[in-house]
Amino acid sequence: MKFRKTMTASALALGLALQAQAADVPEGVTLADEQTYTFWLLDAIKSMDPQINTDVEGSDVLRNLFEGLYNEDGNGELVPGVALDHKVSEDGKTYTFNLREDAKWSNGEPVTANDFVYSWRRLADPATASEYAWYMELMQVENAPEIIAGDKSPEELGIRAVDDHTLEVKITTPLPYFPQMLVHGSTFPVLQSVVEEHGDDWTDAGTLVGNGAYKLVEHQLGERVVMEKSDTYWDAENVVMEKITALTINDVNQALTRYLAGELDRVDIPAGQYPRLKKEYPEQAVSTPYNCSYIYMLNVGEKGPEALKDVRVRKALAYAIDRDIIVERILQGGQKPSYNWTHWAIADFERPELDWADNMDQAQRVEKAKELLAEAGYGPDNPLDLTLQYNTSEDHKKIAIAASQMLKQVGVNLTLDNYEWKVHTDRMQSQDYDMARYAWCGDYNEASTYLDLLTSYSGHNNGEFYNDAYDKLMKDSKTAEDPQPLYQEAEKILAEEMPIIPIYHYANVDMIAEDIEGLPENNVNNTWYGKDLYRVAE
Amino acid sequence: MLSYILKRLAIAIPTLLVLIIISFLLMHSAPGGPFTSERELPPQVLANLNAKYGLDDPLWKQIGSYVWGIVTEFDFGPSFVYKDRSVNEIIAQGFPITLTYGLLSFAVAVIVGVSLGVAAAVRHNSALDYAAVGVSIGAQVLPNFVMAPILVLVFTLWLGWLPGGGWQGPEYWIMPVIALSTSFMASIARITRSSMLEVLTSNHIRTARAKGLPERRVIMRHALKPAMLPVISYLGPAFVAMITGSVVVDIYFSTGGIGKAFVDSALNRDYAVMMGVTILVGALTIFFNLVVDILYGWIDPKIRY
Repeated sequence: MKFRKTMTASALALGLALQAQAADVPEGVTLADEQTYTFWLLDAIKSMDPQINTDVEGSDVLRNLFEGLYNEDGNGELVPGVALDHKVSEDGKTYTFNLREDAKWSNGEPVTANDFVYSWRRLADPATASEYAWYMELMQVENAPEIIAGDKSPEELGIRAVDDHTLEVKITTPLPYFPQMLVHGSTFPVLQSVVEEHGDDWTDAGTLVGNGAYKLVEHQLGERVVMEKSDTYWDAENVVMEKITALTINDVNQALTRYLAGELDRVDIPAGQYPRLKKEYPEQAVSTPYNCSYIYMLNVGEKGPEALKDVRVRKALAYAIDRDIIVERILQGGQKPSYNWTHWAIADFERPELDWADNMDQAQRVEKAKELLAEAGYGPDNPLDLTLQYNTSEDHKKIAIAASQMLKQVGVNLTLDNYEWKVHTDRMQSQDYDMARYAWCGDYNEASTYLDLLTSYSGHNNGEFYNDAYDKLMKDSKTAEDPQPLYQEAEKILAEEMPIIPIYHYANVDMIAEDIEGLPENNVNNTWYGKDLYRVAE
Repeated sequence: MLSYILKRLAIAIPTLLVLIIISFLLMHSAPGGPFTSERELPPQVLANLNAKYGLDDPLWKQIGSYVWGIVTEFDFGPSFVYKDRSVNEIIAQGFPITLTYGLLSFAVAVIVGVSLGVAAAVRHNSALDYAAVGVSIGAQVLPNFVMAPILVLVFTLWLGWLPGGGWQGPEYWIMPVIALSTSFMASIARITRSSMLEVLTSNHIRTARAKGLPERRVIMRHALKPAMLPVISYLGPAFVAMITGSVVVDIYFSTGGIGKAFVDSALNRDYAVMMGVTILVGALTIFFNLVVDILYGWIDPKIRY
């Protein structure tokens, strides 16, 4: 992430091209004869169209079939994809990408700057009706909001092909993390001729043309996706893994059984089973930080309960919950208790010292919670009644029950309301709740992906927490030389105002076959590429 | 008989129409929509989506154009969630899978169930009878969502004989069929047994025995047919229950069948897929009940339509 800081200097070509590409097999390692990798999907892939896909699982497949401007390595650092490097203008608003000339589509055609122009316009075009059209807005690409609103034509998007291998992008505000955002699947190129010829069917196996290291061989919806090495990929000679299969298994325990039977190389570990599996299979059970944060969102807006408008009550609720118990007794998978919003493992981010997190133990917090509630006028004679709603899941239920017990100790009666996912979401978005279980997964590896969410102008601030100082910090951070101190200030405001109750930061808890190498070990987004993998001989 | 069938088919059309309208209204009255997600969409993006899928039209117009599309072009519309696919494509992929393991399960349930029931009745109060009753009660109290993981544990993890899930060839069919058929097999066995016991004490069986027919012929020719009546009336609801049970099979064995798509479509508010599968299941239910009624008439000459 270091190079990001140097990027504000103009006309700096990045020296990324020298870094290792594709599978980095150390000398002396004997590769297995059969280079196959089989991974687990919880659900059917909803779409193989980069501009339509909205799922993390879809992205895992897309990254193998397509390649964007940049990729990530095992540590989450950017490495060249179709772009070799780029230059940034003095004002930080114009990016000029230098594209590699040897990139090819799986039908043999060269990948050009125009392919990116077409795809980005397609993402913003109202006719595409992409659920991720807002990502163009998030990237601040010029005219994106107007195009989405139908006020301007997609041709006016701030992207243009200078020549076949030079791509220019104009953004409205300098974004220090703009290159990071290019790893996202919705910015991947698609081939216009194929999309236009086949319409919605262009993503069928056999029809799909991609520029990734793999080509789609089979897609049985809800059953499996099979991909095989593409010979037209520019770095095909360094791609070791020959075949990648994704199996859909809707039940996580069933998936684990099939992993143990040798049918899969990677699978999630169901909650609570990590300690046992770690003991039994120490080499295979792994827990790594994962870019999502679990909270209880408090409704502090108009429609929320009176009690939650009082910051003392909000703090008391947060203080009374013992996160260690939730993490160590319920989840048991290496998740970390959280006292702030941004995930601890986000690049360059360091949580500021927070009084309630660092200078108090749980007993003190509970005492403080009781004090605060008494000050706010709640106590044995006037107990506080609130509801906590969560979406259907065994884990959410267990955590909610634990939380209600913990809050009972300080005299808060929590009624638990369970709703299926869509109802839960709908109620949250119409502010029809007191406290609600919520999780946010970062779009990229930078703190603003979390902190922007709680600004008054964010579309996801369902608790209606509005704070001018907070908004200003986040706006200033976009142009700051070093935004990190501003992020820390923002976190301090959150600790002071407590519009959300942090619970824990996610971890990826997986079983991974011992002979599979090349999966990221230190990438908080768990962004992996089949081209980096290889299987060693046993 | 023919006019009866035609009459039943004619009634089926308004029945399906009522089914469509009620499901459509119920579906749309549930909170949330196909594009409700954790990441609330900007209003403009949502408007674009609603416009693309016609969700900004008034409900009556949506129902109207939906039914019109089905009648004129047999087009059930695009999926709102699996956006690369139309409802027709989703059903075309998933339904043959469900139909394969559904029919196999049905065949296994009927053949094994009837044989077990007949054997138990004929050897009434023998060890065979007790064993058959024991097996069928055991099989019935074991729900398929308990049985499925046990099967995978035993046959995939411990013995390594069968693939734990997926849909690639006949070896993938075995566990789904066992999981789905067992409880129906048990019910059929019990119904057959009690019905057979009753028939065996009736006058025409005594007559058949009295005129010296071999026992085998008495059972197969004279007792089995009337004893099948209650079994056949059970098959209609059993078929519907199997469709419901296919959800469990799809989830535990990752077959890619239509049962999972049915449940998902409701949870995802994927209106078009939900409607498509509802109509499919509705039509099949009507058809199956008709077949059962026709079988009735064939088995019991007393019943005339």
